Amino acid sequence: MNLFSGTISQLEQGLAYSSLNQKVIANNVANVDTPGYKSKDVNFERMLQDEIQMTSSSFQPSNPKHFEITPKQSTSGVHQRSFSVRENGNGVDMDREMANLATNQIYYDALIERLSGKFGSLNSVIQGG
Amino acid sequence: MFQSMNITASALTTQRLRMDVISSNMANVDTTRATFDDGEWQPYKRKSVVLETKGEGFSSFLNTAMNRDESVGNGVTVSSIIQDDETPGELLYDPDHPDANEDGYVELPNVDPLREMVDLMSATRSYEGNVTVFNANKSMMMSALQIGKS
Repeated sequence: MNLFSGTISQLEQGLAYSSLNQKVIANNVANVDTPGYKSKDVNFERMLQDEIQMTSSSFQPSNPKHFEITPKQSTSGVHQRSFSVRENGNGVDMDREMANLATNQIYYDALIERLSGKFGSLNSVIQGG
Repeated sequence: MFQSMNITASALTTQRLRMDVISSNMANVDTTRATFDDGEWQPYKRKSVVLETKGEGFSSFLNTAMNRDESVGNGVTVSSIIQDDETPGELLYDPDHPDANEDGYVELPNVDPLREMVDLMSATRSYEGNVTVFNANKSMMMSALQIGKS
């Protein structure tokens, strides 16, 4: 029996995504007054595509629509948006960044909560209840 | 691991420097003796900062060359502080002033207090925005430290 059942590594991938997103938001807010700076964001779908393509060959799907999520350290998926919202060519929309920041923070905390829950239940199993 | 904190810190430093420059402009709003050129005192000239994205360095070029995605970047920096010598200063008629010219006019600095105040507000808001990001990041890290504690 697989004790860890992949949950921990999947949550870890989620945390990696969230950390990257945090860096991107920090960089966008830092460059809010830089002329010509274009806002960047993490494209979740593109990261997902990368993950699907990285699927190892050992995985035998019973249905062609199934896919395996493999753990992978990656900083890909960051891409630049091309429009500007101010006359100096800057493309940082502060409202959007702040909304993303709040969303990302809650998402991160939720993942941490689940990870702690997983460790808590493992602990409970180890100690026999 | 602390990259996002470093990014935010670079922005805080930058906005503070910007605010220093604005303070200097406001403080010298009436200074008629800033530099001594060719035996004549020149009034203070308005200064402003030029901001630049940090991180267009080796790693970003390497990533581009390797056909990888856009790097996150490393925040912001002040590339230079420029002096506005173009805009003429206001002329004040005061023949008794020691720096008055032959016609009795004194050239005042080309600092517009209204513009400085707008810039000051802008710098303050940007600083606050970055502080918000910093706090969010800090609370995320603190919650990450709680993993495994129960």
